[in-house]
Amino acid sequence: MIVIDSASPVPPFEQLRAQLARQIQDRTLAVGTRLPTIRRLAADLGLAVNTVGRTYRELEEAGLIETRGPAGSFVSADGKQGRERARRAAEEYAGVIASVGIDTDEAIRIVRAALTNGSADSPSP
Amino acid sequence: MTDKSVPPADAERAAAWLAQHGLADVRPTPLLATRLAARRRTRLAADVLLAAFIIAVALIYTVDKFIGAAVDGSGPYWHWSLLVLTAVVVALVLAQSLLDRRVRRADRQAAAALPRRAAHPVPLGWRTVLGVPRALFAVATFAAATVLGVSALTTQGSTARYGAFVLLIGLCGVAVGTVVQLRHVLTHPVVADDEVSLTADVIMRVEDARNVATPTVVWSLPVVSVFETALGWWIAAWLAFIALSAITLALITTRTAQSGTVARHAMSAG
Repeated sequence: MIVIDSASPVPPFEQLRAQLARQIQDRTLAVGTRLPTIRRLAADLGLAVNTVGRTYRELEEAGLIETRGPAGSFVSADGKQGRERARRAAEEYAGVIASVGIDTDEAIRIVRAALTNGSADSPSP
Repeated sequence: MTDKSVPPADAERAAAWLAQHGLADVRPTPLLATRLAARRRTRLAADVLLAAFIIAVALIYTVDKFIGAAVDGSGPYWHWSLLVLTAVVVALVLAQSLLDRRVRRADRQAAAALPRRAAHPVPLGWRTVLGVPRALFAVATFAAATVLGVSALTTQGSTARYGAFVLLIGLCGVAVGTVVQLRHVLTHPVVADDEVSLTADVIMRVEDARNVATPTVVWSLPVVSVFETALGWWIAAWLAFIALSAITLALITTRTAQSGTVARHAMSAG
């Protein structure tokens, strides 16, 4: 289930993107699952078509979904690419932390703060 | 939307509806009560509309027969009556479409009042909402009725042929009306703000689709035209068709999951 809360400080676009990304990452949405059309999901959630279109584009760029022309958008088999990108980014971050001499606890606090600012306010699926 | 905006009778009906679908512990919300009330009124209007349609078809046929236009199938009024009949069929489809619009408007108004909106990440297709057995049954029923209508058209006298024309035009109208209504049921936006209301939305959709796909009008259409003039074998064939399709529908109903179960399954899948 996807929930969009208009009273939330998190923009609807980010709420939708975070929930879809989470459901794809934790396999609630299996590889090959067809997502609703942009127009359909926008009507269901009371959002603008552009908002849902932007969400789909970002998920596509992240390798989580793929659009097969008129057949629609599907959960991509390359979804693991997202995890691989996250792992590479973590390695780079670890390199930066080591080079500037920040300890591990503080490094984790920085990451947690960044994650919290990004998407933790989104409602759970 | 406040509790005051929903009549107590509608709220009671909503509570009974929830209990009937295994959601007895859920409190009926104004949203649900409003949506169910809109559906109940529209379904009643649709039944009256179909009854009026059958009466109109019977009237056209009877008036034509009375003035002798259909006796040899080539009278001056014959084409006119078929034209009027076609107009009645078009009016039926339009009226059904308007009724559907009323339901969708009630849904839209209910949705506009929601601060939160919930939806499925996986689209519910016709297989989930209507189910393959019911879809096949509906197609087979219309096909069999059409075959019987065409057989009356090709093998009998001009009067019976006229009756068969009436039947076939009526069948076309009912088929188009069914397709239009099913399309509305499958495509109108979800109206929900949490898991329970999303489940209720699926149940309503399944019930609407099953109601639309039940061929009661198909079964009763020949009574107004063909029965009076058809040969014995044709009437026997039609009665066998009705009996067989009624038994099939009863079997499908008992062997397929209830709307509440379908909804819960759909919810767990997405």
